[in-house]
Amino acid sequence: MHMHRYEKWWLTLGTGSLIIFLIILGISAFHQGHQPPSAKAYINPEQVDAIAPFDEPGLKKVEGKEWDYELVLVASTFLYNPGEVEVPKGATLKIIATTKDVIHGFEVAGTNINMMLEPGYISEYTTTLDKTGEFLVVCNEYCGVGHHTMKSMIKVVD
Amino acid sequence: MANPELNRKTQTKVEDSSSLKGTLTSVLLLGGFLVLSWIGVFLLFINRF
Repeated sequence: MHMHRYEKWWLTLGTGSLIIFLIILGISAFHQGHQPPSAKAYINPEQVDAIAPFDEPGLKKVEGKEWDYELVLVASTFLYNPGEVEVPKGATLKIIATTKDVIHGFEVAGTNINMMLEPGYISEYTTTLDKTGEFLVVCNEYCGVGHHTMKSMIKVVD
Repeated sequence: MANPELNRKTQTKVEDSSSLKGTLTSVLLLGGFLVLSWIGVFLLFINRF
């Protein structure tokens, strides 16, 4: 089949970029462990307050794990518990979160942290906080009349 | 006097209809735009935590 020379060029470019993107996706998923924020763990949403670790929400320093701090967070209409935490700069933080009632969002504005909190499921996200500042946590899943007042704050300090 | 045009020779450029130069240019422009915006978003993703 006759094919114009230029046509071969752009077909090569298109196919090449497809291959490159698939390779990047593969490296990101299998080598760097980038995955949806589901811990593959289930919880009875009606008894969140009684089930560990959600019976004691807050920031905890941990030893012997790949991360330095765990932020256990419970969302409910229309607040996050805890409402504010302070983490030292450079620390690796694992966020472990769930919701007691409806679907809530957990977005840390200006960062890559963005996940859904679904009743009955535990969402997790691990990251290293390498910049100081005050990072606002907002709900980005419409959850009811008080949706826009739902917030928390992660303060990264020196 | 009549039909004075008959004596004029008009030259019309006939472009090779199989030329794909314009197509190549627009394909590369679009491709460049996609690559640049992808790199921009990727850098944003890398630089944030």
